[in-house]
Amino acid sequence: MVKKLKKEAWGSKLGVILAVAGSAMGLGNFLRFPVQAANNGGGAFMIPYFISLLLIGIPMMWIEWAIGRYGGVHGHTTAPGMFNRLWNNRLGKYLGVIGVFGPLVIFIYYIYIESWLLSYSFYSLSGVLTDMPDRESMAKFLSAYQGLESNAYFHSLVPAYLFFFITLGLNFFIIFRGVTKGIERLCKFAMPMLFLAAFVLLIRVVTLDAPYPDKPDWNILNGFGYLWNPDFSALLDAKTWLAAAGQIFFTLSVGIGVILTYASYLRKGDDIALSGLTAASTNEFAEVILGGSIIIPLAFAFFGPDAMREVAASGAFNLGFVTMPFIFSKISLGALFSFLWFFLLFLAGLTSSISLIEPAVAFIRDDFQIERRKSAMIVGGVAFILCQPAIFFLGHGVLDELDFWGGTFCLVLFGTIESILFAWTFGIDRAWNEIHRGAQLHIPRVYKWIIKYITPAFLLVILGTWIMQQGWSTMIMENVKAEDMPYVLCTRIGLLILFLVLAILVHIWHKKFYQEEGK
Amino acid sequence: MTFYGWLFMGISWTLIISLAVFCFRRVLRGNNGGM
Repeated sequence: MVKKLKKEAWGSKLGVILAVAGSAMGLGNFLRFPVQAANNGGGAFMIPYFISLLLIGIPMMWIEWAIGRYGGVHGHTTAPGMFNRLWNNRLGKYLGVIGVFGPLVIFIYYIYIESWLLSYSFYSLSGVLTDMPDRESMAKFLSAYQGLESNAYFHSLVPAYLFFFITLGLNFFIIFRGVTKGIERLCKFAMPMLFLAAFVLLIRVVTLDAPYPDKPDWNILNGFGYLWNPDFSALLDAKTWLAAAGQIFFTLSVGIGVILTYASYLRKGDDIALSGLTAASTNEFAEVILGGSIIIPLAFAFFGPDAMREVAASGAFNLGFVTMPFIFSKISLGALFSFLWFFLLFLAGLTSSISLIEPAVAFIRDDFQIERRKSAMIVGGVAFILCQPAIFFLGHGVLDELDFWGGTFCLVLFGTIESILFAWTFGIDRAWNEIHRGAQLHIPRVYKWIIKYITPAFLLVILGTWIMQQGWSTMIMENVKAEDMPYVLCTRIGLLILFLVLAILVHIWHKKFYQEEGK
Repeated sequence: MTFYGWLFMGISWTLIISLAVFCFRRVLRGNNGGM
């Protein structure tokens, strides 16, 4: 008989809410949302956005919290064990592999991007970024830092690697300390800090008015107008609805598997209805109010309406790492505001990355009964090795490939699977009772119908449309350059091997621990 | 910023702030943030 490790648990309700909100809040809140909204109908974008929040976002939050807590009560902290409980079929546990594989794949490139944020915080304070003469220099700085070219700023990857090492170490130090002393303590510190930094930036933005006296129309108010003035014709375009639904799905961290693990540390009678809604509302506050009020109004005031279209089309990444530090270099106390910007993104990234690696650590700890410190070291070592291709072959499409499989395909697929398993296989009546166990909030009964029919159908439509529009062309490597093909192919083979290894581990776990105990 | 811009921003902000305030008030009133 295997001696069971003690189940880990959250120390406080606020702690778990901040941890889930912290997991959801990431670069997408401050970079992806404003660009998506500005490019898809402005204020009109909020109509499909709120509809998607009500029909996919909030129901998926409740579904994942409920599956997680239910699994945790039965001794499972990751999706393979949970799905095996929900669906008494040998396939269930293998479908659950996606819930460990997906976040691990996202982690191995996300952690590298997170390390850029830490280094940019450092370069902001040291004045390097604010000394850049123009946007082209800023782009060259980023490119050399990433190792894509060698120029006057950087000749090697050593600085990037150093910050990557510090960031990875910090992540595993937090994971090493456990749920209460590590994750919860970090989120209770990082989340208020993040909001404080965002509020300071918000105040700076709204008090900026027009930076160029000879161009009074290039002002913050018109910048808000660029984001919020509605273009109702966009509502007739399916692309707008798909973009809004996708944004809601990506922003709330649903469909990854991290909420399942976080919720498994709850107790049987703990509330999930109010906690799930609170985590979602915290994320929405950060996204719509704070995220929507910094980057677009600021960029508009400095570049004006004509260049703004080009700036917004250059992508969220370019906007965050090239345009924003350039703008900060033009305002007084720019180094400080630039630091606040990158440090707030770093904190948002940190609270997300620890949630991404936690399912893999929980899988090793709880399914193989290896104590947390050893589990953290095993996963840390594996993650370190897996991160290397994203660092050294960044310019060959490896990062994009990881993002496609981990951050998009697995996400939508896993979300669809869990919504169907919960509402249909587990059964909507049991599911409804599970959500309401210990609830401090009575969920309107219409949601029983929404969770059963609308959410899975909506997700199937997103999955189908997305595969037709972008998925298929990416799968057949339509847009991959010939010289990058070997790298992309090797990444795919590597991911397939990783998935198979995890599936074998799930098989071993099931045979050894589950059947031996006769459950 | 047009009238409709203000309207959409106002409604969106009001909805989100109201939801966040409603949730956090209930969470903090529930059991002082403890489990």
